[in-house]
Amino acid sequence: MRIPFLIWCVLVVLGLFVLAAILAPQLAPFDPLRQSLLLRLKPPGTIMGGRSFLLGTDDLGRDLLSRVLWGARVSLAVAAVAVVVSLVVGTTLGLVAGWFKGTTAIVIMRSVDTMLSIPAILLAVLTVAVLGPGFLNLVVVLGLTRWPRYTRVAYGQTLQVAALPYIRAAEMAGCSSFRVLWRHVLPNIAGPLLVVMTAEFGLMILFEAGLSFLGLGIQPPAPSWGSIMSAGRAYVERAWWLTVFPGACLFVLVLCVNMAGDWLRDRVDPRSVSR
Amino acid sequence: MRGLVAAFLAVLLTSPTLAQTRDQLTVDLPADVATMDPQIQWDTDSATVYRNLFDNLVTRDKTGKIVPQVATSWRFENDTTVVFDLRSDILFHDGTKLTPEDVVFSVKRITNPVFKSPQLSQFDQIVSAEVTGPNQVTLKTKSPYPVLLAQLVKLSIIPKAYVEKVGDVAFNQAVIGSGPYKLASWQRGVQTNMVANENYWRGKPAFRTVTFRAVPDSATRIADLKTGRADITRGLSPDDAVSLRNEKGLDVRDVATERVAYMFINALYGPTVDKRVRQAIAMAVDRDTLITALQQGYAKPVDVVLAPTNFGYTNEVKAWPYDPDRARKLIREAGAEGAVIPFLTSPVYDRRLNEAVQQMLADVGLKVSITVVDQPTYLKRRLGTPEEASSLSQGRWSCGCLDADGVIFPLFRSGSVWSKFANPAFDAEVDAARATLDENVRRAHYKKAFEIMHEEVPAVGLFQDEAIFLVKKDIEWTPTPDEAFFVFDMKYKN
Amino acid sequence: MRHHLAGRIGQALLASFGVLTIVFFVMRLSGDPTLLLVPEGASAAQIAELRHQLGFDRPLMVQFAAYLADLIRLDFGESLVQRAPVLGILTERIPYTVALAAGALFVALGVGIPVGITMAVMRDHWIARLLQTFVLAGQSLPTFWSGILLILLFGVTLRWLPTSGVDGPLSLVMPSVALGAVTMSTFARMTRSAVLDELGRDYVNAARARGLSLREAVARHVLRNAAIPVVTIAALEIGNLLAGAVIVETVFAWPGIGQLAIQSIQSRDFLVVQAVVLFVSLVYVACNFLADLAYAAIDPRIRSGE
Repeated sequence: MRIPFLIWCVLVVLGLFVLAAILAPQLAPFDPLRQSLLLRLKPPGTIMGGRSFLLGTDDLGRDLLSRVLWGARVSLAVAAVAVVVSLVVGTTLGLVAGWFKGTTAIVIMRSVDTMLSIPAILLAVLTVAVLGPGFLNLVVVLGLTRWPRYTRVAYGQTLQVAALPYIRAAEMAGCSSFRVLWRHVLPNIAGPLLVVMTAEFGLMILFEAGLSFLGLGIQPPAPSWGSIMSAGRAYVERAWWLTVFPGACLFVLVLCVNMAGDWLRDRVDPRSVSR
Repeated sequence: MRGLVAAFLAVLLTSPTLAQTRDQLTVDLPADVATMDPQIQWDTDSATVYRNLFDNLVTRDKTGKIVPQVATSWRFENDTTVVFDLRSDILFHDGTKLTPEDVVFSVKRITNPVFKSPQLSQFDQIVSAEVTGPNQVTLKTKSPYPVLLAQLVKLSIIPKAYVEKVGDVAFNQAVIGSGPYKLASWQRGVQTNMVANENYWRGKPAFRTVTFRAVPDSATRIADLKTGRADITRGLSPDDAVSLRNEKGLDVRDVATERVAYMFINALYGPTVDKRVRQAIAMAVDRDTLITALQQGYAKPVDVVLAPTNFGYTNEVKAWPYDPDRARKLIREAGAEGAVIPFLTSPVYDRRLNEAVQQMLADVGLKVSITVVDQPTYLKRRLGTPEEASSLSQGRWSCGCLDADGVIFPLFRSGSVWSKFANPAFDAEVDAARATLDENVRRAHYKKAFEIMHEEVPAVGLFQDEAIFLVKKDIEWTPTPDEAFFVFDMKYKN
Repeated sequence: MRHHLAGRIGQALLASFGVLTIVFFVMRLSGDPTLLLVPEGASAAQIAELRHQLGFDRPLMVQFAAYLADLIRLDFGESLVQRAPVLGILTERIPYTVALAAGALFVALGVGIPVGITMAVMRDHWIARLLQTFVLAGQSLPTFWSGILLILLFGVTLRWLPTSGVDGPLSLVMPSVALGAVTMSTFARMTRSAVLDELGRDYVNAARARGLSLREAVARHVLRNAAIPVVTIAALEIGNLLAGAVIVETVFAWPGIGQLAIQSIQSRDFLVVQAVVLFVSLVYVACNFLADLAYAAIDPRIRSGE
């Protein structure tokens, strides 16, 4: 498989983000939580008291560069885990519905409709109110609200794949449903699901940002790009750096993930993904 | 359906209405009025709007003193009976006269449990209201109730005949009062329009029309002021105030309110049960830095959990001095080093203050973990059992009655839902202070109560909160400590 | 066919009922509004008394049954906070919501579809990459940030547009752009892949062999077929456009049902939240139903049961 130059660049950038997230403790020049109330809202490049703040400081005098690096960690982790949770839940249900059809399919697909017809942000706010905040609950909430998107795709794909002769043959040969689904169906439908994943990944980061704006995102003082931006929003005019730097990271990351997704989409069966 | 289509067209076709004439005043508020009926909701935004439509039995002057409004004078017949003489020249907006029957009706309606007024607990000490003369009303309370007059400042007088004729639901939609402004229209969730009551008994209001708009985001409210879409807004943060100080044509106006900012400490559950840990927390919080760095000077430090504007305030009880070394030592003594201190809060409370306190306590060896939940959940836990209430939380308290009884009694008297503190000596002082009308005796009791609080630290007083307004420069108006917002007191300069 | 139709409607109503049930119980698990309604300083007895009067001390199933009984009679109840009929509160907000959703959909489709077509036809061209970056920007900026930037630029600095509220057609522009930008890139991506699918088909090659230019082939045949997935996505997005506009409505002070919903959740005004969710769910179901009908109109193959 030939990978075009642009996609190479995209992958390198993505790799850098992941690396930055993993190595945040080593890369960050300062403790991202250490406040200096006398060094609030200093612009990028400030050198004070023998410390230099490359990206400036936030409204509690914390080093923005360190917070953005650690924020990458939180934002990427939230998005990754949420995507995996919803992928696993959604795909399983979609496979089951597409394989067994009949009443099972009706029940599952109607619950998909039910979930999709509640605006995601309202459902998330409601569930956070019940479960309480925190990384784990946040991930559960995101996973629970997003699974139907995977179910729809997995269901449609499974229906198509299940009709293929060799799947029928495997079934006739006495393989269990689980084995057929796991060994033969799943690999066949993985491509389209991967494409949905790439689109969802960026949305998850933004979703966490939105919840931060409503005060229900990741718990302070831990930084995520969303929480840094929603806090920095009050200073758009006075301290632009608080929103611009995490915003730029968010933008580049989402752009790269989506470009990779589009490229991937063109590689897998193009006819199946659009539905 | 036709109504919907008409409304839809109205959305798209309304012509810009906010003409910038000197007759019109536009106010941006964070939220719309919840109920126009003044006897139901008492949130700041609702009260800000509807209080312009009504008169009260008594009111406060600029210095905070209680002065006549509908009542011309009053006298205590005994500790539980007050007689009010009323004006006879006040007219409601529909032209009918305001009578003693209306006053009695207003009191009875809000105190009737069947009406389910959320404000009931502010007035339920009143057991009877009667017309006792041509222009006279007598109120009786369960027991001596020192803050009765302060509570009556917030009781709007409503027209009995009209309310009984149209019913509660219709009254809420189209209220009639006797105040300086009349309700012209109320677009729920959008805005409230008022016109001046030209025959108002205290004189003609300066603005012919007033609009209150609901604009939830403070950055948007500031943009509205800058572009002249609105003339006044409230609820500026100190940082906003600093950056808007030199804005052309706009004025930042602030006033020290009766609201006190404090740090609640749970004395009944968790690591803070140990008095030494609570005292250490009091010594670890650097109030002066919070005020200079975060509040930008928009706050005055307090040594007790009460703002100086309130009755019962004392400056004879001092706060614990900022002393991180001693705090660290005390925590070590108590064996609480590295203890995890849960800190419960909601988006309503200043995030930066929470995080700053977290850092200050980390510096003396306490590991504070902040949990942000939405306001109803916060209240459910904070008002729940001591186990649910977490060890710390930030509070901003105002009773709207300028009296210590409305502050430290509900916050710390054992048995009260807010209190996570049980101290019989303290309870005795605050009980005694509310059982008499003698001001000197009451002051003495509150001083003793604050001395007990100093030693026991069920909370740390931080500062007297300031209300910060952004106002068009040529509007003459000074905000008052009780956070009231009467358009009648505003006018253009010259 | 008629049987099929009835079945579809039945299933759809079941989905709406499911939504209502979920929201009813989740809301009650999150506590009741009594504590928000009493003034600071109320005693435990006073709180319990108000809770009893409001009926929140009854078992959940009893409350649910009572609610359903009212609902069957089309009685949506009275808002606890506003003390006014819920139906009135909701219908007053609907025109604003519909206006905003229509504006946003206009922006999203108006930009997304042409960009998507260009991205497909000029695949791998630098213009396509640039356009892709442009639409993705709309999706990868949090609206609470892009919204305030729009206000500062067009409202405060340039003074072209009103900064907030509902004040003539101009005030719809910024909220529509902010909300539409989020879905714009979804439409562009969908259009791109749908058009790419169609471009690979035999009939396009046949048409081009007949001498049609690529532009003509796209205009005559491809768009018609590519419209199906786009309509599907539009129908799926409608729920989010209606009540998911929470943040845009908050930033621009736009009085839609998203703001109403979030404020009602935060004040635990159960009946209002339930009415909003029921409304959104019914609209969503109806839109998806119409989308199905639209396929049949666009693509005769579906009607013939292929």
